[in-house]
Amino acid sequence: MSLRKQTPSDFLKQIIGRPVVVKLNSGVDYRGVLACLDGYMNIALEQTEEYVNGQLKNKYGDAFIRGNNGNFLVLLLTRR
Amino acid sequence: MAANAATNPSQLLPLELVDKCIGSLVHIVMKSDKEIIGMLLGFDAFVNMVLEDITEFEIMPEGRRITKLDQILLNGNNVTMV
Repeated sequence: MSLRKQTPSDFLKQIIGRPVVVKLNSGVDYRGVLACLDGYMNIALEQTEEYVNGQLKNKYGDAFIRGNNGNFLVLLLTRR
Repeated sequence: MAANAATNPSQLLPLELVDKCIGSLVHIVMKSDKEIIGMLLGFDAFVNMVLEDITEFEIMPEGRRITKLDQILLNGNNVTMV
């Protein structure tokens, strides 16, 4: 689909508003709609659900994930 | 080392090598017991990478994880090797 060369900053601009999964190094997944993020990969999500192995906590409203503190493996997966 | 690069223009910089891999399948080894295979769409100076058509492998429990189509942004903080 979009096979053109794409840098991370371009990618970040185009995925705002889309449903994403943020995966942390600890193995916890956060699924929600990407509200916004910044150059430090701090992430704000809406309608967030937290998955460990099954579904654990349900967070509605806003979730803030602090990026780039070295302990996070942050994958933003855009799912259809 | 910087002077060496200036006097020896045939030297291949690491980021140049990563740039050559754009459009190709790459295998990323993480600091944790995880590896990711996918097509490299782009990267930045921190080696954060945008990848497509991802297969994620966990190493100890040899299980192939979900194959995630679409794109991911992989934080370069936890990457060991490309």
